[in-house]
Amino acid sequence: MPSLTQSNIGGPPPIDPLLPPGGSGDGGGGSPNDGSTRAASMTAIAVVMCASVMTFGAFLSAMAIRRGLNNDWHKLPLPKILWYNTVALLLSSVLLDLARRKLRQNKRHLFNPLWTAGTVLGTLFLVGQFIAWDQLAGHGFYLAGNPSSAFFFVFTWAHAAHVVGALLAVYYVEFLGLKYELGTRGRTWVAASTLFWHFLDILWLGILALFVYWA
Amino acid sequence: MKTSLTHHRTVARLYFWLSLGSVLLGLLLSLVMRFHLVYPATSVKLFHLLWPRQAQGGVMTPELYLSLLTLHGTVMVFFVLTLAPVNAFGNLMLPRQLGAEHMAFPRLNLLSFWVSLASFFLLLASVMTEDGGPLSGWTAYPPLSALGAITGPGEGLGQTLWFFSIAVFCIGALLSSINVIATVIDVRSPDMPLMKMPLAAWNWFLTAILSLLSFPVLLAAGLLILLDRLAGTSFFIPTGLLIADFKSTHTGGTPLLWQHLFWFFGHPEVYIAILPGMGIVSTVISAFSGRRIFGRRAMIFATMSIALLGLLVWGHHMFTSGLNPWSAITFSILTMAIGAPSAVKTFNWLATLWLARGNLRLTTPMLFALGFVSIFVTGGLSGLFLGQPNLDAYFHDTYFVVAHFHIIMGIAALFGIFAGTFYWFPLLFGKMLNETLGKVHFYLTFILAYATFLPMHFAGFAGNPRRYADFTSFEFLSPLMPLQKAITHSAFALAAVQLIFLFNLAWTLWRGAPAPENPWSLEPATASDPDNGETY
Repeated sequence: MPSLTQSNIGGPPPIDPLLPPGGSGDGGGGSPNDGSTRAASMTAIAVVMCASVMTFGAFLSAMAIRRGLNNDWHKLPLPKILWYNTVALLLSSVLLDLARRKLRQNKRHLFNPLWTAGTVLGTLFLVGQFIAWDQLAGHGFYLAGNPSSAFFFVFTWAHAAHVVGALLAVYYVEFLGLKYELGTRGRTWVAASTLFWHFLDILWLGILALFVYWA
Repeated sequence: MKTSLTHHRTVARLYFWLSLGSVLLGLLLSLVMRFHLVYPATSVKLFHLLWPRQAQGGVMTPELYLSLLTLHGTVMVFFVLTLAPVNAFGNLMLPRQLGAEHMAFPRLNLLSFWVSLASFFLLLASVMTEDGGPLSGWTAYPPLSALGAITGPGEGLGQTLWFFSIAVFCIGALLSSINVIATVIDVRSPDMPLMKMPLAAWNWFLTAILSLLSFPVLLAAGLLILLDRLAGTSFFIPTGLLIADFKSTHTGGTPLLWQHLFWFFGHPEVYIAILPGMGIVSTVISAFSGRRIFGRRAMIFATMSIALLGLLVWGHHMFTSGLNPWSAITFSILTMAIGAPSAVKTFNWLATLWLARGNLRLTTPMLFALGFVSIFVTGGLSGLFLGQPNLDAYFHDTYFVVAHFHIIMGIAALFGIFAGTFYWFPLLFGKMLNETLGKVHFYLTFILAYATFLPMHFAGFAGNPRRYADFTSFEFLSPLMPLQKAITHSAFALAAVQLIFLFNLAWTLWRGAPAPENPWSLEPATASDPDNGETY
């Protein structure tokens, strides 16, 4: 039996032989022995998503219990900007995914503009969230006081923390893309960060629905 | 051979040393507490030197006792029982058992260690505040843990730092889970279907899944309680709480919410501590009985059942908290159900031993594995008492619970850790621990562990409450003092015996000869032995 090594049991994904190393002329293929592979990276992202679901699930169950305890729960008037933020987030998700698809179709020249536009919109979402929190505070809704505003801040801060983490990855891809260094590893970053960004969409829509219809 | 810092064996060693340092700290704390319990008025100069404010004149205050209890529980549960079984031995063996060279993410692996170390230092910082360490135990029940310094010395900054430490630990545990799960799923040899995966690898894998599902809930609960403490929210603090002369301004929360969230993490944590030990025991029994584990497939399904049921029984920690009786019955039935897969595992270990009788090799790791089986059965049996709401109503706040969880979670898991340490020491450090010293260490530890923790059941039967810093003020407890003194003496002897292990460890690392190629003289592995086929 041949000896089992990292490279023959789960190394980097096969590269299209018609393309130079790294694909589409980009360098930065990554070391074949660094242990991480595309499949492992996608599994890791799935595991992170499970952890996030459990965290938000814990917040949700806390909210369900806290809401039923007392009559001090008052519905929160949601700032309008949240709807614009939602559009920005969803659109950024579409653009990042389009960029990923174009890269896979070897339309490398379309990747950078699409990814950059997605990154800008993602950043705008975060800025919009800051404005929403500021508007709520301006109307007297703080973390302490009304429990529904407390949970709103908890949910949206936790979601924003996830967005910040995802944006770091998105900006890293942006950096690699602009330097034309989207090699094998860079493409793994593209796939993983896009998948996580979609997850953040679903998470956000869930949070928004929660506060529009229930909280 | 020089290896990089991200090499899985190097990371395994780092975790091993962190856990060893933690277990020694936890052990010393337990000795100080046991001494205080039976000689509460005796002045000890060392106490005064260590804690000049809280042990003036060498006599410990009840608050100091509670802060030591908190630190002991936290260090042992998180930094010993969580880190050593998975992060030390899993890192060492998982890639090897799966036919891989690395963990899936070597740098992330090292990062998870540094995060755990940062959490450890935060924990140490929590007891070094001006007012002392937090008092609320490793379960940190609100409202006392949520209200700040008003509830006692150490409950201010100390308790805040404690919660930060736990939040950081959760992140480290999640990073580690990512690595274990991705390694098993994606870095495993393609020639190894899941059902052929070694039992130890199965146990590490399922432990990582349990960590993944439970630590985020603790993290969420920790963040909410930090907001209660620092930002004036009321998630866990009820309306109109009066403490001493202080009336809390918080309104509308409930401490029960913390208990649900905490124990949703806390009960799986028991299995996070014990499942890897079961995997190590299966490996060791298979190696030294010279045959594959009886009913291997059943072992895998039993482990899965234990992990699944472990996620559904958190309510049995809350029988005395005022649960709906129907909830209590449901949690009780599910708790009892864990006995079935546990019995399957025990039967299969015993059947393996029975079928291999005559060929058994009683090496030190094998002795610790057999000790594990004994301790696991003993601790499991007392669990049957506590799983019944009516019995738990009596036992819950007594030493019966202290005995139960120290045996099933502490001693059993530590025996698994010792079995792994002796068995895999040649792979961990390239040397072989002394067998004679190892056997002496085992026999004395086995006898003294029972001598320390079995009598605690009797103290529990007699209604001896736990968490009390001093029993002498209660007349009804005076007949139990001889028993408590015997427990303390046994605990000191048990701790002293560990010096044999420390000497063995130090001597082997300092002067020990390199381990031979096949350190345990195992027969050449065959395809029918998936548990040891690729490891030695």
